[in-house]
Amino acid sequence: MLTAAMSESMTDTTTAEVAAATDAALARSAAAGDACAFESIYRRHAGRVHGVIVRLVGAQGVRAEDLTQEAFVRAWQALPKFRFESAVSTWLHRLAVTTALMELRSRRGGPRFDEDEDALDGLGMTDSAGNGTALSMDLERAVATLPPRARAVLVLHDVEGWKHEEIANELGMAVGSSKAQLHRARQLLRGRLGGEV
Amino acid sequence: MNAQEEETLRWQLRGLRRDVEPQADLWPGIAARIAATPQEAALPGKSRTRQLAPWAVAASLLLAVGMVWRMVPVAPQQAPVGNPLIRQQAVAMTLDYERAFAHLQQGDIQPEMHGAFGELDRSAAQILTAIDRDPDASFLLEQLRRTYARRLQLTQRAVMT
Repeated sequence: MLTAAMSESMTDTTTAEVAAATDAALARSAAAGDACAFESIYRRHAGRVHGVIVRLVGAQGVRAEDLTQEAFVRAWQALPKFRFESAVSTWLHRLAVTTALMELRSRRGGPRFDEDEDALDGLGMTDSAGNGTALSMDLERAVATLPPRARAVLVLHDVEGWKHEEIANELGMAVGSSKAQLHRARQLLRGRLGGEV
Repeated sequence: MNAQEEETLRWQLRGLRRDVEPQADLWPGIAARIAATPQEAALPGKSRTRQLAPWAVAASLLLAVGMVWRMVPVAPQQAPVGNPLIRQQAVAMTLDYERAFAHLQQGDIQPEMHGAFGELDRSAAQILTAIDRDPDASFLLEQLRRTYARRLQLTQRAVMT
């Protein structure tokens, strides 16, 4: 049984390694201007890139898809400078995060990403019909209704598994601010899910 | 919310990390945009490597790759189903050659070589994908080795000229 478990684990690992090696070969070709290789990269990673963008900006269908397209165009531009010091999938994931955060920062017509967040704090307290506390709101929707910066920190830390240092660097804030935002985001999330705050 | 509920929430949050396929195929739009979008220039190479005679670097790397490859045990033709040996060898070979290419391609590559490099890199990617699908196909390993050997040979030639 142990042998079987080890063998299974080994196979999983090598599958990931083969995928990474395939990505690297495709990326090298795309970096030299091969659009067919880049299409393969898109097909292999569209779901992962789109997934993190949706989690960061909220599931605003068309807008999230625009950002996914933007992230891949940026990847195409930047590929010749990619040094293969990290996995292609990791590089793409980070590029998707950067693209989504730039969008959050540039939003107009409402409270900005960096300020006036409290104005958004009540958004999740009513459901789509505008009726009372959303006790039945599922977790994904509850996360989507958090204020932009609190949501970004919560998604990057609790969902994507980033460290506070990485988050602080990406968002241009102090490590302490990242920790405080996470604490605040979890509190708000508990409130939206109907728990004690 | 007690500690157990907190822990449950953390696990549920981690479970949100999943792929979400776009509802529409975004590739046509991306293809149109990148057709009109120039790529950034590659970064210049590291000066330390440039000081070495290119032919010496190429020769030592070719020797190193060849030795490492010979040290890896050859997979039996009738490998058991699910045996990860071929995948492991493919990965080891790919990483060795990738390192060799990275060392050799420190400087600018002549534009006329890009087409040949692209074709060989595409072939390598296709063979790796095939190995991923059929990890028992040992003949693919030999195809991969030949593809990388040709790629290294061309890279050496590009560096020396």
